[in-house]
Amino acid sequence: MTLSEISRCFHGVIPSIIASSDRHGVPNVTYLSQVHLLDERHVVLSRQFFNKTSRNIAENPQVCIEVYDPVTFEAWRLRLRFLRTETSGPLFESMAMRIQAIASHTGMSGVFRLIGADVFEVLRVERVDGYLTGAASPAEPLSPTGGYRTELRGLQLVSERINRAEDLETLLAAALDALAVYFGFEHTIVLLNDEAAGRLVTISCRGYGGGVGAEVAFGEGLIGTVAAERRVLRMTGLEASLQYGRAVRREILSGEGGRTIRPEIPLPGLADAQSALVIPLTVGERLTGVLAAESRDPLAFGEWDEAYLGIIGNQIALGIDRVMQEESELDAGLAPPPRALPARMRRHTLTYYRDDDSIFFDGEYLIRNVPGRILWKLLAEWKREGRTAFTNRELRLDRSLGLPDLKDNLETRLILLRSRLREKFPAVQLTPTGRGRFSLVVNAELELVER
Amino acid sequence: MIPERLRKCVQSGLSIIVGTADAEHVPSCCRGLALKTSDDFETVTVYLPAATSHETMANIATTRRLAVLCSEVSTHETTQIKGVTRGVRLAPSADEVFVRERLEAFAESLASLGLPRHVTRSLAHWPAFAVDLTVEEVFDQTPGPNAGNPLK
Repeated sequence: MTLSEISRCFHGVIPSIIASSDRHGVPNVTYLSQVHLLDERHVVLSRQFFNKTSRNIAENPQVCIEVYDPVTFEAWRLRLRFLRTETSGPLFESMAMRIQAIASHTGMSGVFRLIGADVFEVLRVERVDGYLTGAASPAEPLSPTGGYRTELRGLQLVSERINRAEDLETLLAAALDALAVYFGFEHTIVLLNDEAAGRLVTISCRGYGGGVGAEVAFGEGLIGTVAAERRVLRMTGLEASLQYGRAVRREILSGEGGRTIRPEIPLPGLADAQSALVIPLTVGERLTGVLAAESRDPLAFGEWDEAYLGIIGNQIALGIDRVMQEESELDAGLAPPPRALPARMRRHTLTYYRDDDSIFFDGEYLIRNVPGRILWKLLAEWKREGRTAFTNRELRLDRSLGLPDLKDNLETRLILLRSRLREKFPAVQLTPTGRGRFSLVVNAELELVER
Repeated sequence: MIPERLRKCVQSGLSIIVGTADAEHVPSCCRGLALKTSDDFETVTVYLPAATSHETMANIATTRRLAVLCSEVSTHETTQIKGVTRGVRLAPSADEVFVRERLEAFAESLASLGLPRHVTRSLAHWPAFAVDLTVEEVFDQTPGPNAGNPLK
């Protein structure tokens, strides 16, 4: 039996056990959050709070661990010998990032951290015979990759769609759609990097029933950690740690929100995710955003998926860059479109708070920051002059909106605004009318209040 | 005074693991089935499946030392008992119902985390060995900075 043949046991779905002994032969036994498979002859254990086990290993390098297959619950005992502790380098960094992500989720950043990566030589791998009686669940073949897939065709299709997309909204929708159809990733999110705010903003998601506009700070949770570190994070067996982490995170975020009348937008994510694959979207050294996939299957993502999602991530990042570049170039020379008269129907009150540029409709939070300023400008001109036709160019030239001169992400902010309106306040819509042009469609009587 | 955490170790639904070492101090571990006490925790009896505990039995016969880990599945609250073996016997048939009930409760605990009950029920559990040990030390083993702190 080789280690790769039992690779499912190293996904952290069922906690493993480690038995050690001190120099006098007094045994100690405890749980391990995860055993990392390094290669066919080595495994790595993360050291956070090891204490007694660490002391025993210093006295006696021989340990025994028992690992369990999360599908069949079969058990294997591995006889190990401690070799060394790594406190820097790629192995340490990679493990530290995973722990940081969990720590961040559970509100324990800086408290719960990797002290060392303990590397062990695997002396023997033994199946625990008789562990399960004959009534065990039907065993599946142990395969780390899951067999034949259609990823190559999916990859080709995603590339074509990304290259064909004329605007960011189409590009992201097509990419997430293809990930669902060809890769089976039903729950995906794209967040774009808002460099000025130091946050990531959810611009597109699939399989969550909403969530556009949700923000994540750099270094916060799995997604924020990936953005800060710019490294791929694949996590399996998230059940206990992430469920708990999500609850804590929600509490922390609601505490930071300050005034209770400005509710935070719920973060996207499955409440019961058991695995996640999070990929930074980068062009050269620049972070464009983050692509995240989640699943309720604890074994949903393997190395195979990581490799493919990485390639798709690169293409999405390049596509975003291309579309934004085209958008900026097209804006040059466009004159503002003519005015039109507004329609009038139901009555709503929109309140704009100057101190944080947030807009509430009938007391309910709608949007804030730059998209909030944009919407308020559009509505003010509609109210004052009856205008309904606008161009991206005039928004870019309006200094009051506070868009940066370079990489203003205007298209991103408009997508966010459009999506939030569609989701929360369909009485007001922004409808594209051509490259770099859009209409403000108001199907209500609006009272605009500024505070 | 008996620590509250030690009393919790004989509750149903817990995950139980035992650790031993041989004469050369090479450690080993094995899943246990149930824990009980009949003398208010001066000793405890841990039940181990005969099918998977050969090595543990051999180690106990040689060194008599035993570590027992009791963990609440949903909260990860974990307690470790260390002691010396007083005696080992094949569990009498009168104890089979008790062991089965404990396995069923463990299956319920794991079902709440998504492991199907029939998988847990298929764990080898009978015949079983009953190992009596004198409770010498009790430690908090809940994951975190306090893991390893003595409770007794």
